[in-house]
Amino acid sequence: MSLKTLTKPWEAMAYGFLDGSAKREIRRKMIKAIAVPGCQMPYASREVPMARGWGTGGLQVSLTLVNPTMRVKVIDQGADDSVNAASIRRFIARVAGAPTTMDTLDADLIQSRHRIPEEILRDDQVLVLQVPNPEPLRPVQPNMSIARQMHADADYGRMWLQLYEQIVRSGRVMQGASYPSLVHGRHVMTPSPIPRWDVPKLNMAQHLTILSAGREKRIFAVPPYTRVEPLVFSDVPYKVEDHAGLTCHRSGTRGFFMNEIPQEDGSSAFEVSDSEWGVKAIRRRDGEEVALGETWYKNGRMPS
Amino acid sequence: MAYVATRGGERAIEQSQRLFCAEMGDITPDRIAEIRAAMPYLIDRIMGEASLYDEDLAALALAQTGGELYEAVLLLRAWRTTQPRISVAEPVTQDALFTHRRISAAFKDIPGGQVLGPTLDYAHRILATTVLDGQVSTPDPVTPAKMASPPRQPSVSAWQAENGLLSPATSDHLTGNDIPDVTREPLLFPAKRAHTLQSLARAETGGVLALGYAAQRGYGQAHPTVNELRLAEAEIVVTHPRGTRFSAGRVKVSQAEVVSKKGSQLELGFSATMGWNEVKVIAAATLDLNSKGAPKGSATEEEFFLYHTEGVESSGFCIHFKLPHYVTFQSSLDAMRDAKARKAAPEKSPEPAE
Amino acid sequence: MSVHPVPSDFEARCNAAFEAVMWAMARPGLVRDLPTTGMAQLVEALIDRECAVYCAEPGLAELAEKTGALAVAPDRADHVFVDDIPDRLLTQLNCGTDLHPDDGATLIAKADFSNGPQLRLTGPGIDGHVVVSVGGLAHDFWQHRRRALRYPMGFEILLVDGARVLGIPRSTIVEVL
Repeated sequence: MSLKTLTKPWEAMAYGFLDGSAKREIRRKMIKAIAVPGCQMPYASREVPMARGWGTGGLQVSLTLVNPTMRVKVIDQGADDSVNAASIRRFIARVAGAPTTMDTLDADLIQSRHRIPEEILRDDQVLVLQVPNPEPLRPVQPNMSIARQMHADADYGRMWLQLYEQIVRSGRVMQGASYPSLVHGRHVMTPSPIPRWDVPKLNMAQHLTILSAGREKRIFAVPPYTRVEPLVFSDVPYKVEDHAGLTCHRSGTRGFFMNEIPQEDGSSAFEVSDSEWGVKAIRRRDGEEVALGETWYKNGRMPS
Repeated sequence: MAYVATRGGERAIEQSQRLFCAEMGDITPDRIAEIRAAMPYLIDRIMGEASLYDEDLAALALAQTGGELYEAVLLLRAWRTTQPRISVAEPVTQDALFTHRRISAAFKDIPGGQVLGPTLDYAHRILATTVLDGQVSTPDPVTPAKMASPPRQPSVSAWQAENGLLSPATSDHLTGNDIPDVTREPLLFPAKRAHTLQSLARAETGGVLALGYAAQRGYGQAHPTVNELRLAEAEIVVTHPRGTRFSAGRVKVSQAEVVSKKGSQLELGFSATMGWNEVKVIAAATLDLNSKGAPKGSATEEEFFLYHTEGVESSGFCIHFKLPHYVTFQSSLDAMRDAKARKAAPEKSPEPAE
Repeated sequence: MSVHPVPSDFEARCNAAFEAVMWAMARPGLVRDLPTTGMAQLVEALIDRECAVYCAEPGLAELAEKTGALAVAPDRADHVFVDDIPDRLLTQLNCGTDLHPDDGATLIAKADFSNGPQLRLTGPGIDGHVVVSVGGLAHDFWQHRRRALRYPMGFEILLVDGARVLGIPRSTIVEVL
């Protein structure tokens, strides 16, 4: 044995940036994450050439999965052209030679910050959600060790109490995004800060969702056909954002999650948050032939 | 297609980066050499926080980021990620350190003597403004001592242990690859001792100082006495696959032992890091001293201070708030408006219509 | 970018093998194609010096050792590679703890998908139920598995038949028809 056999031939950068040991660890953890849906699996989380909190967890999963034939879409707040989405997309393409796309229907892998596209994802697509805080119990228990014990005991009483107190005080659950949800009837999970509008898309979905928090070093998953149930009381049902009746002022599309744009006259205009859906709607309106996928919401309602 | 016309993300980020770099001009080998020579303590600080000992790379990281320290450390850590691990060096023991500076506040004198070494501790902090008028500030020559101080000394805690004042640290006998590595496995609590010491060694100096200072001011139970503070060089001894032991070179290291009285014994807090960084090791050793039995959620609890002094994670998360959050914000607005509407119309049932 | 990075053969094989394993776990009961035959590709894709491994087959054990993994007995292994599953193995496998279900082991074993008893699978990843035929395992294998698992504690099973893989995560309920 020589020093040479211990190391590898020099290359400026490993394929997909991450070295083999980083990828193998993430693979091992992904297997466990898929096997115990919604359960947070700790991983080492390597430093990548992007700041912590900027999608490093999602990025590590994408870099582990990517290959030169995998079509990658990256969105931030629903938009493909958001600056950080552009930066991540450019990085993945640069280090893995992967083709990129903005069309949800064309993508094999979608890395997203805080939205699930409006078109239904297929059973050959992987959605990678970036997660700032993987611990749904943090608002009631900031200490990670205690929270872990609570998950072990399925001790979600304080979580329920908090929701109950909100209803008593405000007449409704005040949770905005990151709505805590019970996965496979066992683990309470944060779906990441996606709006409430998107949480039902995870329930019994066809696609695989991997959630990864790089800074907090936790990975978890929702396999296809897995129950994801927002925590609600039987007499106060789950309520998504009141966007069903809003129309996008640019594309004219209606019944999807919207961005509110304050106007000078004090009113608000709305534009559809899934930017590529908006683009496709405009192109179709302009007479182009554009494939629009089936959407989860129909006329602003999620069929149950 | 008005919508598409606004999609300028790619170009915008490219140009903003250029704008940042334009201010710094060319990065030349000379500039790297100058940074390395002129700012050894800054280099030391970021090498410690990056867990990567290479002065040239550290100088390059400073040049590339214009001295934005968090960015420089991140650059080095990201580079470190890509490097193969060829070998694990032999453990460095305290009594084998080639010592430049070693002082104790616990005793007037210690075996081996108080060795001041290089320090600004007793300098009058006066700016040499004459340099700005065109004069060169040349350091006064150092006069060698009549007798060289002994280069290698055991730690003060070793003497205390011999005298029954404290229980010596026990070894877990782990060597080589078996030593837990916090950059290859997640930090879990209660933390492995190796993980604690490694995390403190790569913690952000300012963060460690803030929490260590809080502990020193009274938010910790134990009041530290600096048993020993040492700046030294450590030999990196590795074994060639053919079996030859050899030194791959020396690295600068700092270590601090702090002690506090606990019953009839002294309790020891310890910290060491790569590079010379006194503030960091004293503050970190103070946190280590205070962590045993600290209440959950207090600043001296291990989970609290290890998470919150991680510079790359904390700075990254802090600046991530610059990213658009309008989806989350929209979701909260919706809940707020709905709650407000309910208050305005209290006769309505509190149940949502849906 | 002018030059597109290209994965080495090794890299491409690991990537494809893991993709098959990932989907096998995500869709229990649906057989996936591996890039090549045998278990060596799974050692390559998953195992390194952070792992503690038991390999029954000497050639595979040698490969695992080269990765730097620790060779251990089945009860201490995080990955167990066997052709035939010895008696009592399922009672020895590491199931993790309630605090760390992720410590549960992964068992990789040989099986025969062309004939064998029919299994009815339900659970996450399965649209209703799925029926799959798996031979080459002891008749009481699935019974032992059921007794060993205490969800969320448990272990994963990857069954390999030539260049095909079937995943049975701990969340899957298996009934022998």
